[in-house]
Amino acid sequence: MMSAGARPGRGVTGRDRIRSMTVFTELDDERLARTASCGAAPGVPVLEANGIRHSYGSKLVLDGVSLSVDAKEVVAIVGENGAGKSTLMRICAGLIRPDVGNVHVQGRVGYCPQIPGLFELLNADEHLLLLAPALGLSERAVREQGHTLLSELGFPVGDSSPTRYLSGGARQKLNLALALLGGVRVLLLDEPYQGFDHGAYVSFWEHVSGWSAAGLGVVVVTHLLTDLTFVDRVVELAIPPGPRQTSR
Amino acid sequence: MRLRRVIVPATMTGRELLRRHVAMGLLTGLPLAFYVCSVGQGPHHAAVTGGIAMAFSVAGASIFAALTARPVDQRLVLAGYRPFELLLGRLLFLELFGLAVSTLFSVIMVLGTGPQHPVMLGVGVELVAAISVPFGLAVGALAPHELEGVLILIGVVGIQLTLDSTQTIAKLLPFWGAQRVISYAVDVTAWTSIAPLAALVYPSLLLALAAYIAHTRAPAMRAIGTAS
Repeated sequence: MMSAGARPGRGVTGRDRIRSMTVFTELDDERLARTASCGAAPGVPVLEANGIRHSYGSKLVLDGVSLSVDAKEVVAIVGENGAGKSTLMRICAGLIRPDVGNVHVQGRVGYCPQIPGLFELLNADEHLLLLAPALGLSERAVREQGHTLLSELGFPVGDSSPTRYLSGGARQKLNLALALLGGVRVLLLDEPYQGFDHGAYVSFWEHVSGWSAAGLGVVVVTHLLTDLTFVDRVVELAIPPGPRQTSR
Repeated sequence: MRLRRVIVPATMTGRELLRRHVAMGLLTGLPLAFYVCSVGQGPHHAAVTGGIAMAFSVAGASIFAALTARPVDQRLVLAGYRPFELLLGRLLFLELFGLAVSTLFSVIMVLGTGPQHPVMLGVGVELVAAISVPFGLAVGALAPHELEGVLILIGVVGIQLTLDSTQTIAKLLPFWGAQRVISYAVDVTAWTSIAPLAALVYPSLLLALAAYIAHTRAPAMRAIGTAS
């Protein structure tokens, strides 16, 4: 059963709605392109999730879902609460092993969780430094790359406050910047703009367009219908039907 | 494995933990409170009670470190850390923290108790601290929340303090061997073999490692074509 109405390998059918792509013509994406990775050609899949089925205990949340994202493509995942959007993202990020199905990716995956995974009493720079050895970057390189990303997202670079004392929007910007560090090919964003003000929200979509132009495949989980005008493709997840009632 | 991949998580664990001033003050004050309150019941009882209560301090800090890191660990593994590197980093910092706190506390107890073997008293308290780290990390990795973790800690240490050390159940608890060393330091006639000690420390460490890997393991993902 295909809860997302998706066909394996590429896109979705049925519920798939192709939207016109919003083009931002005057974006300063050169610096973003340097910090993010690039090189994948459009039409080349960078993420393929095939036949994903997943349950939490007896509760089935994903059933036969397939998703394919190309380089330079922005895909929105929508669906009502409990439809498994965040679970699908975590499976695509490699954080959850699906009960059935497999995920193929090209290059590194950047994942921005809905609730920022941050240490409460470390500041932004310390988070960057913590990730440096894992990404194979020097302290200097990770600071430069991190500060570039943070300043472009409007984060107060140089603020040494522990993340506990940052606003929700600032925490989310740090969360987003950490997902982009080190050069990624696939970017998974789970409602990434919670706490953003209007300016930051608009700027966020400009950046998404920039990352996409730089060659990334971007997947955004959203509840906002206005967001759908910013993406190439919309995938709607439906809650899988419960166990069938058997009649005697 | 590059050393930096262990040192940096160790450093950040330390910064995160040591900035929790109130929690750290309470944790390190607990063994002292136990010791001071039991001085009236004789030097042997005071040394054993204070020494075992060191577990509240170090295992408590370890549980806290494991639980606060939980939401971040998957991100760190996704970025390229291996779970055992994160575990080693935390072990490194927490063992050093335990060594520092237990050394300070040993000096206080030696001055206050006047044991027959001051060095052995120090060794016993250091052992409690050393065992507390993998024990605390294992509890922190397995307990769903802080409350459950703290209750397990209170239960295990409380039972260890309550039971007579000759009882079989006491020998199955993680701090029994260290308890015997502290007893010997104060009263040389109390010596018994502490062979079961090793049998408890290593499974605890392995349990912590297994729990870390289970929490942070990223499923193997196949690459499409040639990844750059």
